[in-house]
Amino acid sequence: MTNLNAVDPAAVAQDAHLEGADVVIGKNTIIFRRFMRNKTAVAGLAIFLALTVFSFVGGYFTQWDKETIDPFNIGMPPSAEHYLGTSQAGIDLYAMTVEGTRISILIGLIVGLVSVLVAAVYGCTMAYFGGKVDKVMLFILEALIMMPALLVVAVATSGGGEGLKRDLPSWLLLIIVLLVFSWMGTARLIRSLSMSLMQRDFVKASQYMGVPARRIVWRHLVPNIGSLLVLDITRGVTGAILAEVAFSFIGIGIKVPDVSLGVLIGGATSQVQTFPWMFWVPLTVMFLLTGSLAMMNDGLRDAFDPSSSSSGSAKKRALKTRVKGNAS
Amino acid sequence: MSSEIAAGRVEQPQSPAERLHVAGLHAPSDAILSVRDLNVRFNTENGIVHAVRGVDFDLMPGKTLGIVGESGSGKSVTSLAIMGLLPTTAEVTGSVRLKGKELLGLSDKAMCEYRGNELAMVFQDPLSSLTPVYTVGTQIIEALTIHNPGMSKQTKEARAVELLAMVGIPSPKERLRAFPHEFSGGMRQRVMIAIAIANNPRVLIADEPTTALDVTIQAQVLEVLHTAQEETGAAVVMITHDLGVVAGMADDIMVMYAGRPVETGAVDDIYYNPRMPYTMGLLGAVPRVDVAEKSSLVPIEGMPPNLIHPPTGCSFAPRCPLASDACLEGEPALAPVPDGPLHLAACIKSGSLGGDVDVLDVFAAPPVPVSRFDAIPREERATVLQLKDVRKHFPLTRGALLKKRIGTVKAVDGLTFDIREGECFSIVGESGSGKTTTLLEIMEFHKDQDGEVVIGGISNKKAADARAKSAMRRELQMVFQDPTGALDPRFTVYEVLAEPLQNAGMEKPAIRKRIMELMKLVGLQPDHVNRFPNQFSGGQRQRIGIARALAVNPKLVVLDEPVSALDVSVQAGVINLLDKLRAELGLSYLLVAHDLSVVRHISNRVAVMYLGKIVEIGEVDRVFDNPRHPYTRALLSAIPVPDPQLERTRERIILQGDLPSPLDAPKGCNFATRCPVFAALPKTKQEKCLTLEPPLLPVTPSPAAQTLAADPLPALDQRFACFFPDGEIDEDMLVVHEAADHHAP
Repeated sequence: MTNLNAVDPAAVAQDAHLEGADVVIGKNTIIFRRFMRNKTAVAGLAIFLALTVFSFVGGYFTQWDKETIDPFNIGMPPSAEHYLGTSQAGIDLYAMTVEGTRISILIGLIVGLVSVLVAAVYGCTMAYFGGKVDKVMLFILEALIMMPALLVVAVATSGGGEGLKRDLPSWLLLIIVLLVFSWMGTARLIRSLSMSLMQRDFVKASQYMGVPARRIVWRHLVPNIGSLLVLDITRGVTGAILAEVAFSFIGIGIKVPDVSLGVLIGGATSQVQTFPWMFWVPLTVMFLLTGSLAMMNDGLRDAFDPSSSSSGSAKKRALKTRVKGNAS
Repeated sequence: MSSEIAAGRVEQPQSPAERLHVAGLHAPSDAILSVRDLNVRFNTENGIVHAVRGVDFDLMPGKTLGIVGESGSGKSVTSLAIMGLLPTTAEVTGSVRLKGKELLGLSDKAMCEYRGNELAMVFQDPLSSLTPVYTVGTQIIEALTIHNPGMSKQTKEARAVELLAMVGIPSPKERLRAFPHEFSGGMRQRVMIAIAIANNPRVLIADEPTTALDVTIQAQVLEVLHTAQEETGAAVVMITHDLGVVAGMADDIMVMYAGRPVETGAVDDIYYNPRMPYTMGLLGAVPRVDVAEKSSLVPIEGMPPNLIHPPTGCSFAPRCPLASDACLEGEPALAPVPDGPLHLAACIKSGSLGGDVDVLDVFAAPPVPVSRFDAIPREERATVLQLKDVRKHFPLTRGALLKKRIGTVKAVDGLTFDIREGECFSIVGESGSGKTTTLLEIMEFHKDQDGEVVIGGISNKKAADARAKSAMRRELQMVFQDPTGALDPRFTVYEVLAEPLQNAGMEKPAIRKRIMELMKLVGLQPDHVNRFPNQFSGGQRQRIGIARALAVNPKLVVLDEPVSALDVSVQAGVINLLDKLRAELGLSYLLVAHDLSVVRHISNRVAVMYLGKIVEIGEVDRVFDNPRHPYTRALLSAIPVPDPQLERTRERIILQGDLPSPLDAPKGCNFATRCPVFAALPKTKQEKCLTLEPPLLPVTPSPAAQTLAADPLPALDQRFACFFPDGEIDEDMLVVHEAADHHAP
């Protein structure tokens, strides 16, 4: 009865316009493009991937491992036989660095991923239930934040928990302890973010349609905080690596014979003058590791941020063509 | 008319306007602000967006230029380019001359000499344009200090007080030390105006200055702008999407579309004799609050072109019902139309589009849909929603540790009304009057509510278990104000529409079929179901929202400001759709809107709310044509009408102040503090308003009519709560702009 049902020519023309001109770019494509445009971030990603590959296959390039003592080369500087020299116990530094990098990356990735996952579940649950549940869970969270993490790590890895220590390698123990203390900040952030999402109209719309709250959380809340989670994972990885290095440095993290970058740096501080390679090599690797993650994080944040000033590359291209046009 | 818009792009020096320039008929040196061939380009992911494409105008001292257009037409970008406030990534070319001095290309520092001094701007959102940590006094004095370093502290303070008084802030001396959060939105906008006029600017740019405000406050702020212009003699550039707002203020109008002016001329020429189909469409798309006659609105289908690709033909051609092949050959330049050299339109057919062409014919507006319920008297139709004495009171507490109740906020206070089948019932009022709370109370639907809500025969008092609730949810659905916020950005349209159906336990094939039906019903293409909401325009998104609400076949749809976030041209399409659906599906609507013209157009009955109470309720034409309550009268008179002559001469009731805090609501009549009738009443009668609460009483036909009629007249469908509906209105609150005053040089 009205022309509203009819397919009007204007709309058709506009559709053709929309389809032909790739006006609509998927969000993931935009994020990927923005990330790739940030040269620093791409370099960071490359360094991080290279280090990860190195930590897994680097061991095959030398016949030494982190436990074998070379009695003929004790405390020797880098040479053809020992690429990066040996410690004063005669252990190959290259082998130890490969092993240490692997442990550090492993700790970083596991702690980064799992703590964000825990934080997401915890935070969303708080926001979804609200009221008393929220209060109790928030109290636990605050209590954990106020707990002296350093002390607990020290006790868990050296003093108490003899049984635990027998069964678990020290790096696994450190992962568990780090996990317990690393998720609270993110959880609080996710809680507030989900709470504001709960106020959004599309969540209200689902509520008024009678959709069960569990489904609302899973289908509406979690996907919408995805970008925050990705960002938090890279940040969490950096944080965990740094925490591991710091704890091992002051001697309460990883214990010998396990080896990590922190253990290597900590062990070498007293001999910077006499065995400089023992100190500078693991330190450089650690800088590369955390630095590359920081570079990546910066790029990711820019890519996810809708108000970012990272603008299109069209201008440069257009300018070029214009210049060409003028020249010809 | 001494201020004219000179137009014609620089590339076409042969245009008559340019020749007039050469002849010195209106030399640009007269103009205080002169813009020539202004172009702005932005760099985005998709390519270069050419947001402003060749804007030309001359602004004469003391005159007002209205720039009108849909969102994305380049109005705001033009103003920001003039102010030099665009981000550095934007490429601005052309020329902007203020008193003959070129502004484009000046460094930020050099621009600061002009900004806030000779060029000043009032922004759209008063809530975010004042710094919350400084007092308003500090912020006004800051503006004075920057451009008058030699001014003494006392002089500055005195000037600040003077400015605040000028913009109508009571007890300005004390308010100088108040922080922005202590002011309401309208007051903050006044402060913004005070800051803008602090240094007696020559040009004042107002970018949608009243869009974020209530109608009554809008009327106040427009009045303040008017005074400010009179006091400073500044030329004003008024940017707005609302054709009503500029009708009474502007001398000249520039209609923008796709980054270009498409029609310019004196205000009367544009409103009474539009020559460009876009302008005609815009004027036809606005519902009128002062017209009872029911006709469909003019929808302009489609959306503005993408400015990444330079348009090959007329930029409006894809949406223009009159477009022919000739329109696609080159963009038409602004050219004078037959009725005068100062009225220019960019349309090759402007010659044939006179004032006598009916816009409804041009745009093929749909016929007025007729509902099967229209023929049945209201009393005989079934009730779909009934509210009985619904209240929502919030306790107000103070104290951190020991909470002490210091008062009650009566957000909704004893609401009783019902909605029949096939009827559209609207609630209007300022923000803070309790409209939204009423909707939420209906949507919440649980047992502990104060008052009874009956939806389709299901009462919240009797059956409020899960099953009754889910049955209720199928009777009642909601459409939200912001179509972007109401759709999950990560859902495709299919998923959005499937959600309520899955929840209702439908099978997959049935869901698919229903979704296709729904897409057609709301006028969207069924093959668009796999798109994401951000791939649609605002109007289309609102259609998706409506489709979702209709998915489970509800009887009643709650519409919370369904068109306020949309452009006028798109708004018309959505209103027509709502009208059509009501007629075809026999729906009932509960509409909340602040735009009374929309309410008048679409509703059958209306309730006016003030501070949680209904002050007047009844059939829409009766209430709007013959308002009895002073508040209704003030609300109606505050709405600007897109008719310049009417707008200049009509009487307006400008309410003083803002909605009082519900805490200090008076004991008797809520409205007494702002009432224009109350202010004019003698003391003895005022006493009655202050002590007794006026009941909601039906309007009785006048005794004369009763005696004339043989049978007793049936009671009219209009009730109001006021003791003195026929009282005189206080003269201070009545404002009339004389036509002569407007045209004075």
